[in-house]
Amino acid sequence: MPIQILQGTLDLMILRTLSTMGPQHAYGIASRLQQVSEDALNLNQGTIYPALVRIEQHGWTRGSWGKTENNREAKYYTITRAGLKALNEETERWRQMAGVVERLLAEEQ
Amino acid sequence: MARWRRIIAKLRGLVANKRAEEDLAREVASHLALLADDFERRGMPPEEARRAARHAYGGVEQAKQAHRDERSLQWIEQTMQDLRYGLRTLSKSPGFTITAVLTLALGIGACTAIFSLVNAVLIRSLPYGDAGRLVYLYTPNPQFNVPVEVFGPAYADYYDLKKESTSFQDMTAFDQSVFSLTTPGSAERVSTARVDGDFFSTFQASPQLGRAIAPSDDQVGHEKVAVISHALWQSMFASSADILHRSLLLDGKTYQIIGVMPQGFEYPHFSDLPYGSAQYKTTQIWIPLALTPHQMDDRENARGNAVARLKVGVSIAQAQAEMSTLMVRLDQLHDARVRGWAAQVENFVDRTVGHVRALLWLLLGAVCIVLSIACGNAANLLLARAASRMRELGVRVALGAGRSRIIRQLLTESLLIGLVAGGVGICLAYVFLRVLPHLNPGNIPRLNEASLDTRVLFFTVAVSVLTSVITGILPAWAVSRINLTDFLATGSSRSVAGGHTRVQSTLIVVESALVVVLLAGAGLFIRSYINVVSVDTGFSQSTVAMNIELDARYSQPQRVEFFRNLFARVEVLPGVQKVGGISNLPLSNSEDLREFEVDGYPNKKGQLAESRWATPQYFPAMGIPLAAGRSFTQEDKSNRSIAIVNESFANKYFTNRNPIGGRVSREDDHTQWSTVVGVIGDVRDSALEKAPEPQIYNLDGDFEGGYIAVRSTLPAKSLAATIRSALRSIDPNLAVGDIQTMGDLESEARAQRRFQTSLLSVFAGIALFLSLVGLYGLMAYSVSRRTREVGIRMALGAQRTDVMLLVLKKASLLLGLGLVSGLVASWFATRAIQAFLFGVGRHDPITNLSVCALLAVSGLMAAIIPARRSASIDPMQALRTE
Repeated sequence: MPIQILQGTLDLMILRTLSTMGPQHAYGIASRLQQVSEDALNLNQGTIYPALVRIEQHGWTRGSWGKTENNREAKYYTITRAGLKALNEETERWRQMAGVVERLLAEEQ
Repeated sequence: MARWRRIIAKLRGLVANKRAEEDLAREVASHLALLADDFERRGMPPEEARRAARHAYGGVEQAKQAHRDERSLQWIEQTMQDLRYGLRTLSKSPGFTITAVLTLALGIGACTAIFSLVNAVLIRSLPYGDAGRLVYLYTPNPQFNVPVEVFGPAYADYYDLKKESTSFQDMTAFDQSVFSLTTPGSAERVSTARVDGDFFSTFQASPQLGRAIAPSDDQVGHEKVAVISHALWQSMFASSADILHRSLLLDGKTYQIIGVMPQGFEYPHFSDLPYGSAQYKTTQIWIPLALTPHQMDDRENARGNAVARLKVGVSIAQAQAEMSTLMVRLDQLHDARVRGWAAQVENFVDRTVGHVRALLWLLLGAVCIVLSIACGNAANLLLARAASRMRELGVRVALGAGRSRIIRQLLTESLLIGLVAGGVGICLAYVFLRVLPHLNPGNIPRLNEASLDTRVLFFTVAVSVLTSVITGILPAWAVSRINLTDFLATGSSRSVAGGHTRVQSTLIVVESALVVVLLAGAGLFIRSYINVVSVDTGFSQSTVAMNIELDARYSQPQRVEFFRNLFARVEVLPGVQKVGGISNLPLSNSEDLREFEVDGYPNKKGQLAESRWATPQYFPAMGIPLAAGRSFTQEDKSNRSIAIVNESFANKYFTNRNPIGGRVSREDDHTQWSTVVGVIGDVRDSALEKAPEPQIYNLDGDFEGGYIAVRSTLPAKSLAATIRSALRSIDPNLAVGDIQTMGDLESEARAQRRFQTSLLSVFAGIALFLSLVGLYGLMAYSVSRRTREVGIRMALGAQRTDVMLLVLKKASLLLGLGLVSGLVASWFATRAIQAFLFGVGRHDPITNLSVCALLAVSGLMAAIIPARRSASIDPMQALRTE
């Protein structure tokens, strides 16, 4: 069963994608997410748009128009310095959160 | 930080919305293309690949909308839509829009104007540091029946109080007088304050240039220094930079200028002190008081003014208790004949503005009523408009607009109207403030400083928004109540009109009631004003009067000689009939009270009369008639043993006996009697509205200075010019104040009443006009709504007069209800203005009847136009419409 994206984690995933893969367009990001999740994510590709605009408005990414290798025009998102900082913070928060949840679940059993 | 960046980005998105939209469309297209490319690469035919791409992408429009919602501030977006839509619909019906805007603008403008006065006089803090801690000190004596503020502490008492009290941080004594300021080629009279060394520190006021008067200046021998006002610096010295190297010639003595006060510091003002000179509204020069040791030891003359600053944490009550205790002891040091001196500590701010507080709040209340009426009218207009927009609103609901969205749309429209009206209102208030100096009665402190500052503008915006919401909420609610889809189904707008007109009629009734209250108030003010105008002052209005005081260059014999010479010169001018001199002119705001005894009368302690020194020609010059006995004559020379009393005196102290030949104690020597030789008519002396007080006139055979009254057949202006040139030829360095007719002084004495009466009348007039417009509008509206009904009635045989009466009957019903409730309301509301009335009761039947007549006649006139229109409806055409 495909899983739903946890509230607030999409931003983190996009930032992470951009920091590892370098500048990417929306399609590239969406493909990457699907690829990494081995198609377990139930992701309509259009649903990443709000996250993209949010991240850009935070100043964590910068968008610019460029060409793909197939000579199609696409909007590339580049992670900024502030974005890298936010990524670190978000990653830390996620780890803590995940740790807490994990410990709780372990106790239950 | 990131959050702020996001909000800024969102706000920027509002402006660059079009570009963002294009960008988004481009991005979505490129995304889809990339997806399709991918599918093609996996071997799909192009057509299928595109379909698969769309499928993988999900809903394009949803994605775009999600992007939009995320991108921008949604409520602002919608508000912008509402605003655009509102502007479009409003500009499509300019008649409605202009009427609504002007109606509200009148109300908001009136409110802004009066609030700017309240702001300048009552709210804006006085430029004296923490003015709330300043107090006046008085030493009243209950034996004398005079206002508390007449007795400032005698200097000996003052210095003892200052030394022994612990409640105050600072204390200052000062005095107000008028000096001749001589400049090369001219001389003018300038109001001057003589202040001690603690004056400026008590008021926490520092000069903008130079230094203030210090305790070291306040000593005999060091006192020839002066601080001048900003206004004098500008007018007399052209804001010259080397002002501190200049000097002033005051009463023939040279004073070195040591400082210039900033704008706004002109204390004491004429209205601050009892018997301040009305000609000089503000203080322009401060010089040291520099009392001699002899003056400092004077305990019997209560002539100074004292102001003190309370220590932090000390209340007025505590200071009062301390002062009272101290005065009990000091009273014992006073002359045994007059004791009973007490202390009174009074709040400085209350003294300064207390006397106009009630008036300003009253005016603000009046403009609030005007604004309410304007709101009522605007609401009625909006209601009428909402009714005619049912179809449009119904369509919007049918297309999916939520009820709250419709209400919001209507409120946005009323907000637009309100804000534009606020803008126009500010312009109206600006015009009012330009006219204000001409209306200024002179005794409202800082009235001319009224301006549209930020606080006033903030107030205006708040009032505009408030009125918009108040006027908009009723129609919006009424519209949202109606089931719009039902309405669309019937396709008729008539079904919903009935409910509205009931609300509208109620509004008109309330408006008329409010107008009645305002008209009654204005009517009572006008009646009071007429009463004041028709007061018999007891003197002639055409007499020309002036105040002439000689400065220190003149010795006593020279003074007497000067005035003999002047009187002789003026008397022979063609057209001049009489020239007289007096120590205190009526309505000149100067006073001289004396204790006296009457032979053969049960005299009481502290029995006071107004004491005047007059030359023989004074009474005929002023046109004051002789009631009995004789007047002073030249042959009396300077006989101190004769006196003239006024009728009030004669009636009070010579009841049932002949005053002529009676005896009163002499002013210069209480142990001697002077004989009453004549009784002279009463005059309104201290105020037009105060009954005459007992007066004793002494003969002044050697007039040395004071007021001069001239009776002539010449026009006042040319007489004044002639007298001025005569004075200049005697002494070119002599400064002479205003030369006015007694009528001018009367007019000045009525200034505040004129101010309040004209303002209230104008507001009542505006209110009446607005409510008539409202009534007319409602009648016209209901006639146009009932065209079809009227057509049917006429087709069934109703006469034109019947139709007209139908409309008029409705109008009279509304007016009648308004009148009755308004009369009831004003029965109670006029209590607020009781203190402002003169010679008229607050339930004055004449005023109430005139108000009723005015409203009934003007109301029916407003209704007659729509009534005639309804009567002229062509039944056939009416039935064919709709």
